[in-house]
Amino acid sequence: MTKYLTLLKITWQNGLVYRLSLFTWRLRSFLSSLMSLTVWTVIFTSNNGAFGYSKESMITYIFLVAFLQSLIISSSLNGLAGRLYSGEISNYLLKPINLFGYFAIQEVADKFKNILFLILESYFLFLIFKPIIIFPDYKILLLFVVWSFGGLILNFIISLLFGSMGFWSPQAWGPKFIFFMMIEFTAGKLFPLDILPIYLQKIIYFTPFPYLSFVQIQLFLERLNSQEIIKHSIVLTLWILILGLLTHKIWTKGLKSYESVGI
Amino acid sequence: MNSTKNNKKITIKVSNLKKYFKVYKKEPGLLGSIKSLWKRSYETVKAVDDVSFEITEGEIVGFIGQNGAGKTTTLKMLSGLLYPTEGETSVLGFNPWDRKTEFQKQFALVMGQKNQLWWDLPAIESFHLNKAIYEIPDKVFDETLSKLSKILDVEDILRIQVRKLSLGQRMKCEIIAALLHNPKVLFLDEPTIGLDVVMQKTLRDFIKTYNKEFGATIILTSHYMGDVKELCERVIMIDKGHKIYDGNLADIINKYARNKILSLTLENSVLRKDLEQFGKVKSFKNNQATLIVPRKEATKIASKILNQFKVNDLNIEEVPIEVVIREIFGDKKIH
Repeated sequence: MTKYLTLLKITWQNGLVYRLSLFTWRLRSFLSSLMSLTVWTVIFTSNNGAFGYSKESMITYIFLVAFLQSLIISSSLNGLAGRLYSGEISNYLLKPINLFGYFAIQEVADKFKNILFLILESYFLFLIFKPIIIFPDYKILLLFVVWSFGGLILNFIISLLFGSMGFWSPQAWGPKFIFFMMIEFTAGKLFPLDILPIYLQKIIYFTPFPYLSFVQIQLFLERLNSQEIIKHSIVLTLWILILGLLTHKIWTKGLKSYESVGI
Repeated sequence: MNSTKNNKKITIKVSNLKKYFKVYKKEPGLLGSIKSLWKRSYETVKAVDDVSFEITEGEIVGFIGQNGAGKTTTLKMLSGLLYPTEGETSVLGFNPWDRKTEFQKQFALVMGQKNQLWWDLPAIESFHLNKAIYEIPDKVFDETLSKLSKILDVEDILRIQVRKLSLGQRMKCEIIAALLHNPKVLFLDEPTIGLDVVMQKTLRDFIKTYNKEFGATIILTSHYMGDVKELCERVIMIDKGHKIYDGNLADIINKYARNKILSLTLENSVLRKDLEQFGKVKSFKNNQATLIVPRKEATKIASKILNQFKVNDLNIEEVPIEVVIREIFGDKKIH
């Protein structure tokens, strides 16, 4: 365990070396939330409700999106395919450390850093908008934590799956870019999915993307009935299992094709 | 289980090892690039083709071969980085591909052109990470680090960002990072590349000491024959994926050198063409000459010269090993 803790510490240290890039990246995230909150606040100035959301639930939605964006969707593994193709992982394949453990630690370090900054940023947003955040009861809150953790695992698996392309080709940015676009659209980052036409929502629910933020927020806002809660719990678990198994198979095959270029 | 050879434990065993890569072959020019959008041809490159050898405990073996001969690919297979297309490998009784913790704690791979140190942090941070990864006890870590940094003279630079170090300083830190866990097997791929002669010498001395002190088994690849000559009694020569020689470095000369060098100092001046009848004149200046003569006839030619001219000094020498190796790898005209 000590090895993973030391790795966590060194990853943090490494992430804090370039202050300017850290600052500008957080500023981008802050401005994005600021923009969303401004737009929706303006929409709700003349209406009490829109698209089935009250002003309070929409503001809560936006805060939750920012939170889950940092916790679930943002990933340190975005450039993984390139790192595989360039042979960067060789160092860890040579050492007595689990490669996936190493990736997981990088993710934890990254997400922890995100959340730390997010709390600070949210404080400023609170000062500006003085929103009323709706909190569900503790049972739902507990399940929300579990689902968020599930979403985090699911995104980790999906990132590994996209990354595995690097075993065979350096051209993983194209598919990854499409994935980013899908997430913007289908994880509920830009707007709640339930404002979309029903048939589009049905299609989106055939993909794992709503489980990367949207269903968690719906749960938090208590917009799901008990039947839906059970259904989504099962589907989320199934996605983790199926994609996890697929990722495991592809990585086993990929490591056999690994060319360890450059090292 | 480790087997033995001449009562020595076999540490590394390689049998019929092969590694083939499928590579995309692009036609030259813009047209070739456009064509490659819908049609690509691939070819199989045999990086390592049916190589077998055994290395016993404590040996330092030099891998010699041209660029792309398959040396590094072999080392990568021995380290468990690459999955062999065919064949068996065993290092310390383990199959490297299994990447067992007990195996990984006992070996290290040092690549002269790649670093394991964290680029933006001081080297000491990477050392502490390795300490945790290899589960090195505090006392052992402190002792090894202080000993290694003293020998390699890097005590003052351990707290400077790695990216700000010179190539030589970085290489020394790389070596420390690789040796902190006192590996029993060491794969050194071009460890002295880009270093100045003083630094090369320091590193060679250090490798020698490490081998003696820990009884470590070492495979070394290098473009500098100086490294191989000073460190390795035994060499394995690899050419286009095949093993073409495995034996004592000194025996390469007996096996492959076709000529010897005859150096003369003559009492009186002679004409160049008088000497050309005995062999190829390589240099001729102020009554001093160097001749390249067929190896088998060297003694006979020397006695003929002694009979024909007044000779002050005569030496018969072997051709330098570098030249013989160059000749083996294709440049057959040299001697």
